[in-house]
Amino acid sequence: MIVVENKSAEDILKMVAPYKKILVAGCYGCVTVCLAGGEKEVGLLASQIRMAREKEGNPIEVLEQTVERQCDKEYLVNFQDKARDVEAIVSLACGIGIQYLAQVYEPIPVFPGVNTQFLGANLDVGVWEEYCMACGECVLDKTGGICPIARCSKSLLNGPCGGSQEGKCEVDKSVDCAWHLIYDRLKALGQLDKMAEYIPAKNWHRNEGPRKLVKEDLTLEQ
Amino acid sequence: MLQMQARSAVIYEELDVFPEVLVIGCGTEGAAAALAVSENQPVTVIDHDTNHDGLSLIKGQTNITVNAGVKVVGLDGFPGQFLVSFMENGEYTKKSFGAIIVALEAQSSYDAKKYNRIELGERILSLSQFIKKDNDYSRQKVTFVLGQADRDSISSYATALSQAIALKEKDADVSILYYDMKVSADHLEQDYELARARGVNFLKYEGDLQILKTDVAATVQYSEPFLEETEQVKLVSDYLVLPEDYVAHPGTADLADVLDVNTGPNGFFQEDNVHFLPIMSNREGIYFIGSCHGPIYGVELEKEIETVKAEVGRFASGKTRVASLQPQVDAEKCAVCLTCYRCCPHHAIEIVHDESLNNMYHSAARMNPLACRHCGICSAECPGKAIQLPNYKDGQILQQLSRPPKIVAFACENSGTLAAELANKIEPELNALIQVVPVPCSGKIDALYLLKALERGADGVLLIACQKENCKYSRGNVRADQRKELVRKRLEAIGLEGDRVDIVHVAANQGNQFNESIRSMVARVNQLGSYPGKVIR
Repeated sequence: MIVVENKSAEDILKMVAPYKKILVAGCYGCVTVCLAGGEKEVGLLASQIRMAREKEGNPIEVLEQTVERQCDKEYLVNFQDKARDVEAIVSLACGIGIQYLAQVYEPIPVFPGVNTQFLGANLDVGVWEEYCMACGECVLDKTGGICPIARCSKSLLNGPCGGSQEGKCEVDKSVDCAWHLIYDRLKALGQLDKMAEYIPAKNWHRNEGPRKLVKEDLTLEQ
Repeated sequence: MLQMQARSAVIYEELDVFPEVLVIGCGTEGAAAALAVSENQPVTVIDHDTNHDGLSLIKGQTNITVNAGVKVVGLDGFPGQFLVSFMENGEYTKKSFGAIIVALEAQSSYDAKKYNRIELGERILSLSQFIKKDNDYSRQKVTFVLGQADRDSISSYATALSQAIALKEKDADVSILYYDMKVSADHLEQDYELARARGVNFLKYEGDLQILKTDVAATVQYSEPFLEETEQVKLVSDYLVLPEDYVAHPGTADLADVLDVNTGPNGFFQEDNVHFLPIMSNREGIYFIGSCHGPIYGVELEKEIETVKAEVGRFASGKTRVASLQPQVDAEKCAVCLTCYRCCPHHAIEIVHDESLNNMYHSAARMNPLACRHCGICSAECPGKAIQLPNYKDGQILQQLSRPPKIVAFACENSGTLAAELANKIEPELNALIQVVPVPCSGKIDALYLLKALERGADGVLLIACQKENCKYSRGNVRADQRKELVRKRLEAIGLEGDRVDIVHVAANQGNQFNESIRSMVARVNQLGSYPGKVIR
């Protein structure tokens, strides 16, 4: 899941300062699951914005709506009635949804209501942890199912480094050393020989620009 | 201004249930429960791999199956339809039950440190050794020493009194050495009077005891509070009887984990919560009887068994009728995020998959009507606003806030609304300044309600919750505390005063406390002035 965190009300109020009528747009996808951009959060933010502006003597009308997913244009269409009626939109979707919403509803200005954080697991109510960095070249088969790219502070492919102490990372003592976890897991799996296996440097093909995935055999005929 | 929402007509469902009841624990307590319950419906008793003291009481009884050497290792499903996994001779088996009665008996543990390190022996017996031993005590001097161990219960007092009375009948010379005589339970005062009448010596001590033993006698040396001289008294007996402490069955923590039920003080089953007395757990269909939830004695146990028999009896016919009062989930809005599932204190929620469910997952949360206690915590936690509790839907709550007065108080119906009614009788003019919005639990108070109350014209908002550690739904009042903080931060983030929102913990009879908190909130908002964030058009 994509994990996001709410932006401060102060930042959002600055973005919408010039407008008198806006839409707060939620998403029932990842951001609902991570308790930051669902219908509830839309209601809370809208109420905050209204009250803040009343206090300034500069009232604003805030519409509220949440759709299935903001990263699919078929769902984005559902905003059209309200979007037509407002001067700006604050999106509580992840960075993907915000951009896609902005693209579909150009020229209406779209502002981010959240800071997109990482791809992570929901460990408990209110607790998330990064598990994947979408590097594009998975090595989990070699590392006992624990990602050194996302979970080692230095993204080392051949760890641990000299800074691993008692299972903790030298960068932040509250963080488990990913390579210590990998060692323990491989040992439990009886695959410790994999520790000695050299993993060659990755092809960080991000250099080639934004990534795009096209599966020729699945695309519809145009 | 206390308004009750008009209730919609209740719809009943008839559900198929398994009549059979599982009793975990085959001590005398579990056996007694099984015997009582078996009058109405079939019972399986397992010993959970430990105590078999009750075996002889139930062996061969119709309607009772005894399964020794079996341990519970898993639990699925809901009341009426629990599916229990067992480990039996290294193999997993599964069986369905309507309800579960936990009867893992406490164990007595002699703590020599409490009796100045004296070891047990021929002349110095623990209370449970004494009960089991069939000595001839006629013309023997027997002394019970109370108040050193088992201080939190009256169980050793009750046992010592009944044993003392019985000893008198066998012509023994009996003394009870006590610091304070605890008799606060049914029949104990009578036992105490009877023991006195029969000639048991009651001797009070103060401070530390010294216990000495020789081959032929045991001596307690103690300070006598009623004598003018502070000299130590030496009491020489043939036998000294020393009560033990009761400790939770060693399997308690593991079983609590498997059943997802709460434990409380000293690691016994059941949390320390007045709403949970005497046999209830945090889950419907799972009950605690006897010493598994703390030291207990005969009369109390009988009452518990009577109650549990009635509770599980509703499944005896294989069908049960239940009011459909559980929250309803709008599948279109449910993101199957598991928040409600994880927050439910009663383990009443499941995620179901069904093609008819109208969302991209064809899945949604569902509240089980038999497991749900209708607290509404799930609906306040839902990030998608997909969950609505009948009679307390968001629309119904917000409708009450069309023109709020100075103060809106969202009040738990287990404490707050009752305190409000009392408060209204004490000081009606104060209550004219407030609007009380009843909720089934303070955990149902959505952060949104608090902001809406202010937005619509209130100057201050109160959450009226039960006293700490006293929430009928375990942790609703803790969540209410967290929401107060969350809303305060939200207000402060937009430059408004966070302390326009506050929480008060009251009991149902604290009418004056309720008025005091209203008065203090009124004073606070009068000082702050009218709330500047009101959105009135």
